[in-house]
Amino acid sequence: MSLAAEAFVSQIAAAEPWPENAALFQPLKEDQILLSDSASSLAVQTFLRMCGLPVLVSCRANAEYMSPSGKVPFIHVGNQVVSELGPIVQFTKAKGHSLSDGLDDVQRAEMKAYMELVNNMLQTAELYIQWCDDYTATEISRPRYSSPYSWPLNHILAYQKQWEVRRKMNAIGWSGKSLEQVYEDVSQCCQALSQRLGTQPYFFNKQPTELDALVFGHLFTILTTQLTNDELAEKVKSYTNLLSFCHRIEQTYFKEHDRESQSGSSRHSKGSLP
Amino acid sequence: MLDSVQAAVHVSVMHTNMAEPMELLCWGGDWDLPSVHTDSLIVLAYGKFSGAKLAVKSIDWTWRTITASVPQLHYEGTTVTEPTQILNFLRKQRFNADYELTAKQGADTMAYIALLEEKLRPALLHTFWVDAENYANLTRPWFTSHSPFPLNFFVPGRQASLALSRILLTKAESPLLNITEVEGKIYSEAKECLNLLSHRLGNFHFFFGDTPTSLDAFVFGHIAPLIKAPLPSGQLQKHLNQLDNLCQFCNTILRNYFTDASAEKRMDCSPTATHDPVDANLQKLTQLVNKESNLIEKMDDNLRSSPQHRPHRHETKPLAPVSEKNSTPP
Repeated sequence: MSLAAEAFVSQIAAAEPWPENAALFQPLKEDQILLSDSASSLAVQTFLRMCGLPVLVSCRANAEYMSPSGKVPFIHVGNQVVSELGPIVQFTKAKGHSLSDGLDDVQRAEMKAYMELVNNMLQTAELYIQWCDDYTATEISRPRYSSPYSWPLNHILAYQKQWEVRRKMNAIGWSGKSLEQVYEDVSQCCQALSQRLGTQPYFFNKQPTELDALVFGHLFTILTTQLTNDELAEKVKSYTNLLSFCHRIEQTYFKEHDRESQSGSSRHSKGSLP
Repeated sequence: MLDSVQAAVHVSVMHTNMAEPMELLCWGGDWDLPSVHTDSLIVLAYGKFSGAKLAVKSIDWTWRTITASVPQLHYEGTTVTEPTQILNFLRKQRFNADYELTAKQGADTMAYIALLEEKLRPALLHTFWVDAENYANLTRPWFTSHSPFPLNFFVPGRQASLALSRILLTKAESPLLNITEVEGKIYSEAKECLNLLSHRLGNFHFFFGDTPTSLDAFVFGHIAPLIKAPLPSGQLQKHLNQLDNLCQFCNTILRNYFTDASAEKRMDCSPTATHDPVDANLQKLTQLVNKESNLIEKMDDNLRSSPQHRPHRHETKPLAPVSEKNSTPP
């Protein structure tokens, strides 16, 4: 969206309050969604819960194609469609709900920097593990991604997505990395987050911000998703304050969600934290 | 050529452990900078901050312009590329500029480096390699003139296409968008990033107190080309020039750590010293002008009052003192 269109949209957004029938769209939870998409979706859901805004999660097989930017999740509010956490945060801010108003300029700079760290390291690592590691791609990613479609479309779409992700990894210089190096990067990222969090309840003291939502989304998904091996989850588990951070947010914001999901927990996700 | 250098390095390894230099390959310098390439600048700056002795070899006018991935560090037979890896390697060799940072500051370093990579680098790549005016008038001529024949036909084009594909793959959000729609977004993100860096730096000399660290090296590497390059169309450059503390930061590092590179251009090295000669010159010039104008006034008066010009009758009084002075000038 160009800048003028964005300003226009946020003006319109400011005019109406948050409706009751806001919906969040993501790929099918049981069979289709992958680690990276699930992490982004959970981050957005957590953010909206932290703001106290109701949203209905709706699963569609073609969510990726419905999204205006090609990325999931996206929310449908009123007559607007916004995708990805960054634009959604701006959109809710235009509607008058913001978590980071109390921060001064330096803290805001730090928050944005840490959010970029999570996007740059954790999300890229998730994409790498899913699509550039041949074993995971063959066993998990390609079958899951193409499960709603019949032959030969499933093969074509799966390979197309894999090719796109590998091109992107090539462009940013991650294609030369080995799996061990990627795990090492994840570990360093978690170490940085752990050191920043320290003993505080949230990253910016008492109040949760979008950074907390983003970190929770990624870490919780990594901890509760079964991959070919558990090495990624082990890297995260070695930082106890991050584990307790995830527990705390899960208890505070997802108590009802847990009760619903335990009755129908999926094969892919292990449900709640161990 | 590299083998002989490596052999020389091997020989000196037997004698000393730390003293022999590590060889760094990077792009050459221009516009008061030791190198025009962001990643090379990062490594060079970190080398200066941590006191590592780096033998810098520029790859200009060699075949390495197309074969090597720059910057590249050679030491005792190992080769390390990519700024992050090179900095890790230097730290393992006990050249550590981050020694005094707390754990939280170390975490902040990682976060800010990620911010630079995600928000600022696409706009830098666009400014130098994709923007048509800059590319045609500055970047391509520079890289063409610093590459040997026949590589000068290929090197700039290859870099430009790599830059464009990187921007499109990471920032263009759907296959339907083309570069013009992404431009607005990446420039506004880059300006925001520069503002955030400026807020974080505040009035300090460096990002973490009084000594420079790896974060300072990364920020310097990214913004120095943007400040110093003579870009024909640089909206990002204009924005950066308004952020005084970042410009000061860059000039401080250049002045304190890279005086060899800019020794020929002393004017830029010491901005305060130039004020005095300029002021003195200005004063002299003003005095000369004043004297000239006085003389001209006098000559004018003389001409008006000279007998050949049929003076007015009521001007006979000033004639007397003027005619006295008339005799003295030649």
